Amino acid sequence: MSGGVQTAIPVPIGPARRAVRDPLVAGLVGLCLAAAAGLLAAPPAPYLVNALGQLAAFAILAVSLDLVWGYLGILSLGHGLFFAIGGYVCAMHLLAHGVAATGVLPDFVQFMGWKSLPAYWAGLEHAPYAFVLALALAGLVAFVFGLASFRSRVNGVYFSIISQALVYVAMLLMYRNDTGLGGNNGMTGFPLLFGWPMGSPGVVSGLAVAALLALAAVLAGTRLLVGSAVGRRMLACRDDETRLRTLGYSTTRLKLGIWCLSAMIAALAGILYVPQVGIINPRVLAPDLSIEIAVWVAIGGLGRLGGAVIGAILVNGLKFWLSAAMPEAWPFILSGLVLLVVLVLPNGLLDLVALRPRPTWLRGAR
Amino acid sequence: MADPLRAILTFCCLGLLTAPAWAVPLDRTRFAADLCGDGAAQVRGAEGLVQAGGDLPVADLTFAGGLLGALAERRLACPADGALLLDRPGAAEGHDALTGALRPAAEARAPVLGLRQRAAVETARGVVALLTGPDPAARGAGLSVVERRIATVPASVLDRAQDAEADAALKAAIAGLAQAAALSSPDPARRRAAIVAVAASPSGAAEARLTALKSDPAYAADPAFRTALDAGLSRVSRAVAVGDGLAVLYNGLSFASILFMAAAGLAIIFGLMGVINLAQGEFIMLGAYATYGVQEAFRRFAPGLLDLYLVAAIPVAFGAVALVGIVVEALILRHLYRRPLTSLLATWAVSLFLVNLVRVTVGTQNLQFVMPGYVSGGVPLYADFVVTWNRLFAIAFAAATLVLTLLILRRTPLGLDIRAVTQNRDMAACLGLPTRRIDRLAFGLGSGLAGLAGVALCPIYSVNPGMGSGFIVDSFMVVVLGGVGSLIGTLVAALGVGGANVLIEPISGAVAAKVIVLVGIILFLQRRPEGLFAVRRRR
Repeated sequence: MSGGVQTAIPVPIGPARRAVRDPLVAGLVGLCLAAAAGLLAAPPAPYLVNALGQLAAFAILAVSLDLVWGYLGILSLGHGLFFAIGGYVCAMHLLAHGVAATGVLPDFVQFMGWKSLPAYWAGLEHAPYAFVLALALAGLVAFVFGLASFRSRVNGVYFSIISQALVYVAMLLMYRNDTGLGGNNGMTGFPLLFGWPMGSPGVVSGLAVAALLALAAVLAGTRLLVGSAVGRRMLACRDDETRLRTLGYSTTRLKLGIWCLSAMIAALAGILYVPQVGIINPRVLAPDLSIEIAVWVAIGGLGRLGGAVIGAILVNGLKFWLSAAMPEAWPFILSGLVLLVVLVLPNGLLDLVALRPRPTWLRGAR
Repeated sequence: MADPLRAILTFCCLGLLTAPAWAVPLDRTRFAADLCGDGAAQVRGAEGLVQAGGDLPVADLTFAGGLLGALAERRLACPADGALLLDRPGAAEGHDALTGALRPAAEARAPVLGLRQRAAVETARGVVALLTGPDPAARGAGLSVVERRIATVPASVLDRAQDAEADAALKAAIAGLAQAAALSSPDPARRRAAIVAVAASPSGAAEARLTALKSDPAYAADPAFRTALDAGLSRVSRAVAVGDGLAVLYNGLSFASILFMAAAGLAIIFGLMGVINLAQGEFIMLGAYATYGVQEAFRRFAPGLLDLYLVAAIPVAFGAVALVGIVVEALILRHLYRRPLTSLLATWAVSLFLVNLVRVTVGTQNLQFVMPGYVSGGVPLYADFVVTWNRLFAIAFAAATLVLTLLILRRTPLGLDIRAVTQNRDMAACLGLPTRRIDRLAFGLGSGLAGLAGVALCPIYSVNPGMGSGFIVDSFMVVVLGGVGSLIGTLVAALGVGGANVLIEPISGAVAAKVIVLVGIILFLQRRPEGLFAVRRRR
């Protein structure tokens, strides 16, 4: 089921117009905007608002993985690393902001016996700097790792295994107290966000709205990307990298660029996630969590951005509900769901819906 | 202890023996009179006995012990015509201490021990017990008394006790005490000899003991002492370093064995089918639980043969886990060939299922294993290097597994088929090989190897439902580094990764070791993306 010969070449139209023709993505973007407006107009219980915001953050994370897995054929089992980079930098910003406003040092700093925040925290109390730093750091790590891997043509399952080892090692590093970012306990107890007290209804709604808007922007942006000439090159690279390289394209540069973009989107998800849950610890770096991201994408529908969003929201929504209602049963349900999807619905739950005939260029998605 | 040395020590002790008034053998009359005398005389008698103890005949020691015991328990009466041993304090008559004749005690004085006298008498009794006690317990009690008052006991007593002692543990304790006493002896020659003696059997404890002597005033004052100590210390340090190096190598080898056991099955499965089996760690866990099941069965039905459960578990674990693997292959994986990334997710789901199944049915606690004699304890080989049986078990197990697996792959029809399909699946199918059946059998073989790894782990690691996740990353690194589908590559990579981990760990910590090894592997793959030993194949 590889490739598939294109029988009818579609009439070239602009990426923006093609993107609008993807009703699933367009619908999801519209839904996000409507939900954001609804939250602002008539906020429901803070618990629900918060859950919605977290789901949006997870959906962004799923989109970032779908971008490289579904459209480039690179399965990263280490996307939790970039999510965690965003999350950790965001947590550092929140703590530094709190120190600047209140003068009280965070618990773990006092625990380590330090008199002040270490020097590399300088400037983190400024939100724009922290935001740029988070994205740049994720991009840099992705660039170094991607350059090393793609240049030597490490791909397929090799890449997956090595990215998993990467996130595993990062987890071990962060579990050490000496690393200096809270160690085992992570960082928590954020007092303020932009000067407002954390956990007040306005801040909760604001965060959820920000996450929904970010999801809408990410969806629209990535849809524009995969609909563009670059997107076609990505699919070509996924289906037959050797042929694309023979045709004169630098696949390394293409893969590296998209890989770094994906890492930065994952970092964005982390930035949005941490203030909503109020804690970050090394457990987000567990290899299992990174595999779970791939599971969301696979369940929703690999190679379709809307599928990734639906998968993330479905699995995490179920998890929110079931891990409280029957925690013992949740792992069995999740593993059963995965097996069901990979065996019966090779392209995810979207196979069930069959919203419209699949474009020929998606038939080879794996 | 070397013989010349013992001669020196004995000579020194004889030198000390010139001070006491009596010669060998014991002057029994005078001893009895001393014990009946005033406080100073009692102390003189007891201390004299301690000093002479190493050279007195056993009969004299027994005699002195009886008298001292009677004195301590107030059963010694002292009429004018000689000491009497009473049966109980205050008895009307007793046996003459020297002749044994029955005589009336008649108002005779029974000496009472003062604090200082009591200490001297206790020490003397301890020496007698150490030298003539009927069983190890009595002699051990004597030793502990002597240990408390070691400054007043001559080396000859300890030497004699050490020579005569039959109990190995007690003998080692006596030797240790003798050494410590000699090291802090006031006689410089004896101290130097003791340093040489300590250096002759190097260990971390010996090094610490000698290092402590560096702060002794004699180290600065006495050049001969300094030379002896420095020489002894450098000898011990060298030996300890060599022993520690051996221990590191041994630990690395055992870690590599475990890695190899965990990775061998993965390498076969990955090489043959391109399937990343994320459930391999859980298959190891199932192997360990199968071992536990065998142990419980033995406990229930054949308690006498309980020690053999580990051996009996080998075929059981292999068979049970191979069966699980074959079922997984038949139900799930065979639908997913040609989709390696999806099969990876499927095996992850299987691992999640297995972990939670075991968690719900057996529980999350660590399993308790009986450790048979052949996997507990060890043999001290050199300095602090101890060959522990449990790790040797794992190493031997891995070696046997390697040989057997190589034999299967190289010498059996199944192995031939597996190699053919690994190298060129389509051509093998064209030649009539049932590739799907071979896949299934190979998957069973690879899973069974994981089960064997579980058996080997039982004596070393704690066994619980989550144990598998600890191996999966390391063993995949081994497979990638070794080259897909190459068992020898897996072996070399396991030795390399295990060795590197153990070598780096003491320098920079366990986490840094893992980071460095991972970075090393990524850098290595820059040069050779196919791993150490790439199997030539066509797709």
